Amino acid sequence: MEFVEKRLTQRAKRGDREAFAELVEIYKDKIFQLAYRMTGNRQEAEDIAQETFLRVFANLHSYDESYKFSTWIYRIATNLCIDRSRKKRPDFSLDQEAEGTEGLDWYSRLSSNDKTPEQAVMTQELQDTVQGALSQLSPKYRSIMILRYIEDLSLQEISAVLQLPITTIKTRIHRGREALRNKLRFM
Amino acid sequence: MECRESRLLIHEFLDGDIDELANRRLQEHLWSCSECRRHKHELQKTIALVQSTSHVHAPADFTQRVLAQLPAPTKMNLVSLWLKRHPFIAAAAVFLLLMTSSLVASWFESDQMLQVSSNDFDQLQVDRQRKVVVVPEGAVVTGDLIVRNGSVEVQGTVEGNVVAIDGKVFTASTAQIAGDVESIEAIIDWIWYQLKNIGNDLLPFAP
Repeated sequence: MEFVEKRLTQRAKRGDREAFAELVEIYKDKIFQLAYRMTGNRQEAEDIAQETFLRVFANLHSYDESYKFSTWIYRIATNLCIDRSRKKRPDFSLDQEAEGTEGLDWYSRLSSNDKTPEQAVMTQELQDTVQGALSQLSPKYRSIMILRYIEDLSLQEISAVLQLPITTIKTRIHRGREALRNKLRFM
Repeated sequence: MECRESRLLIHEFLDGDIDELANRRLQEHLWSCSECRRHKHELQKTIALVQSTSHVHAPADFTQRVLAQLPAPTKMNLVSLWLKRHPFIAAAAVFLLLMTSSLVASWFESDQMLQVSSNDFDQLQVDRQRKVVVVPEGAVVTGDLIVRNGSVEVQGTVEGNVVAIDGKVFTASTAQIAGDVESIEAIIDWIWYQLKNIGNDLLPFAP
């Protein structure tokens, strides 16, 4: 996989758009997922994900191939997410209200296959609760928890993405876990 | 073990970087302390909940929309793309470019010094003041005589070509020149002369 990515990034660097499109295909779900969990909003997540890939394209020439491509793209996406949440802190609560209606359509589509409506609603409630708990974390903790437990990155990878020492990552994961536990312990 | 220490070790345990001794002490403590046991259980449940959030996918047309927003390919890109598709023409173009540029360069590189190239220097009289190279009467020069930045006055015999670059060739009535006489004054002539030479080298049987 890494070899394929290396080839693709080299081709994309030389202006090969087909190679770039393949990179988008490989990473679009991961990046969209990260942005969605960071913002809790589909439209915003899509904007951020698009912006991430446009920045990747514009900065391919400065991408250092000695690092993993995934590290680089996660860094761009995480920074974009954190910047956004900084800018729009005032109407944060409004967002959370809108979230429920917006997510409903999406989740019901996702889980409609093999579950009874009741189960689907249960799952939906649970999903909302988890998303709500994540949203209440400050962005720097939220991003780390998402990278660790939703994107499934190792502590080393997160440390490389955020360019922070691994001890800092560990401390934040500990605190993030405790904060989430306070919200989710009664589920 | 105190519960404070146990809480720290629980996190190390969850990160998978607890050492064996500490782990054994933690397990002993958890066995006896229901409070810490519950705490650990809640943390593990929390992780499981976050991990179990359904995986969302980017919209189906996501990639197309990203590609549509990319800046239009620059002229440079288009040129390099075209070159990639037509490698032979590209190679020919590069060859031509290099050749003409080296020819032009060789024209400009030469300074205004009088330069003479011949096999028999001792047969020549060089007048640096007037920038004239004289082949005196009775002298025999074997091979070509090429003079740059000056004129040639031939009174004797040259068994080859006489070429004056940026100069003129004067021949006296006594002159005997076996080869061609050429005086080259303009850059186009220079290039033409070089091309002709290359042609002659490549096609030895050409008239």
